[in-house]
Amino acid sequence: MSWEVVARKDFQDSVRSRWLQGLTVLFVVLVAGVIWVLRPGPGETVSSNQVLNSLLLKDALVTTLVPLIALVVAYNAVVGERESGSLKLLLSLPHSRADVVAGKVIGRSAAFGVAVFVGFLLPALALALGPLQFEVGSFVGFTLLTALLGAVFVAIAVGASAAVPSNTLAIGITVGLYFLFVPLWGAVQLPLQFYFQVSSPPAWLPLTGQEVIRLLRLINPTGAFKIVTNAYLGSTLFAGDGARLHVGATAMLLAWLLAPPLFGLWRFDRADL
Amino acid sequence: MAAIDIEGVTKRFGDVTAVNDLDLTVPEGEAFGFLGPNGAGKSTTINMVLDFVRPTTGTVSVLGHDAQRHSLMVRRRTGVLPEGFDVYDRLTARQHVEFAIDSKEVDDDPVALLERVGLPDAVDRKAGGFSTGMRQRLALAMALVGQPDLLILDEPSSGLDPGGAKEMREIVREEVDRGATVFFSSHILGQVEAVCDQVAILRNGELVAQDTVEGLREAAGGEARLVVTLREPSAFDVGTVLALPEVSEATLDGDTLTVACADGAKTEVIAAVEDSGVGVSDFETAEESLEELFLEYTADDGEAMEVEP
Repeated sequence: MSWEVVARKDFQDSVRSRWLQGLTVLFVVLVAGVIWVLRPGPGETVSSNQVLNSLLLKDALVTTLVPLIALVVAYNAVVGERESGSLKLLLSLPHSRADVVAGKVIGRSAAFGVAVFVGFLLPALALALGPLQFEVGSFVGFTLLTALLGAVFVAIAVGASAAVPSNTLAIGITVGLYFLFVPLWGAVQLPLQFYFQVSSPPAWLPLTGQEVIRLLRLINPTGAFKIVTNAYLGSTLFAGDGARLHVGATAMLLAWLLAPPLFGLWRFDRADL
Repeated sequence: MAAIDIEGVTKRFGDVTAVNDLDLTVPEGEAFGFLGPNGAGKSTTINMVLDFVRPTTGTVSVLGHDAQRHSLMVRRRTGVLPEGFDVYDRLTARQHVEFAIDSKEVDDDPVALLERVGLPDAVDRKAGGFSTGMRQRLALAMALVGQPDLLILDEPSSGLDPGGAKEMREIVREEVDRGATVFFSSHILGQVEAVCDQVAILRNGELVAQDTVEGLREAAGGEARLVVTLREPSAFDVGTVLALPEVSEATLDGDTLTVACADGAKTEVIAAVEDSGVGVSDFETAEESLEELFLEYTADDGEAMEVEP
């Protein structure tokens, strides 16, 4: 398959980038740092699930940093090659533009996934020898979900990268999306949550206050990720009262994984290079 | 079937017309030179052949396939050395060629290809450290993967030293002998003259000439250029040769007399110079070079463009 060849080449290229190598080290240091902060007193142990459930790891590290880094790693995936001219080498070979976009999403997600895996597993394994009670299943699952969140933001960045003719525009769009999804979304969501505790949404909106908040969480890929991981770590994923919400959040993550690259491809396919 | 068939193609970028109503047929199995000054529309034309850009009007077909709708089919059988490309800095020469091999789903030997283009010592070096000439050779190796039916070389000699340019021409010749069509663009006539069977000359997005190299020479008038060294130049009057009916031009510079005349009139000119009593110490003849013809075709409003040697 042609996209496979592109993905393999992009993976080979990305894992050799200093950016990604530095990033892997950063993950190792940060995850180790979180575990150190949460270290138990003498004679006690702490479970890896407690680490994963901590605000520090889940909110500060994963949902704040992973989107940022994924966007940085992928914003120039297509447009960078378009500006440098290596795209001419790539497209003179028998690859369709769809193969290029798909290959970029997959190759770069895989490279990012490697950084996440090394970053999460290395410190955990080291500390498992000490006071950390290591629950392999949930830890690997959480790491996979983090890689999925990374892939979603890689997909968003590759979509932007394919859609525009210059690196500068791609940077602008990805930075804008980051601010929208991470700080801004939270800044709107929190006061709104307080507001809906005392009053209800306008009458023309056929939703209750709680539903509006839930929708806001669901639409944002980091929010959807939190819904899925919380349920996963609480062993209630796709079960109980939240089942519908979990399915919705998973579907939303998949939609974010597919829609931006498709939009990018739609523009890229029409472009004169 | 033609290797490349361009019919009535116009390409506009905004209000700039890069290519204007171009008709061009490249026959199969020969080396075809595509000439013109920088900015004449050569790369735009090649980009339309490869579906990097789409014609505003007109159709391009390559190896019998529509270049736009069946671009993948075209690129499976085409090898390309693009203009203004870049390599993947972090990947080695071998990884580049392997990428082309995997992309074309063939089973070539990357080392053999890199040896053929003169990069035997750089196989496992990262391409980021390559010179322009080495990058050019690397892209040529990628273009040769899978024995393509059509090789498109866009300004292949840029960045190559004269030795490298000669090797490039040898590879072009070998590929044509194998049965491939080579479409070779250049703004330097000398690169194309020695290797191409036919040439087309593009200027301001329009085709100004298409012929064999021989045919172009004839079109130049078949004039001979006679360079005569005189013993006593001070006693010579240029008017005596200019008076001859088949002489179009004569200039005296120091002891060197240069005469442009019909090919058959050379002996007559020499005789006339000797008759004037100034003494001929040496003479040589030359065909009017294709270079001058190329300049005539491509010069804008009588202003000669700069041509690299």
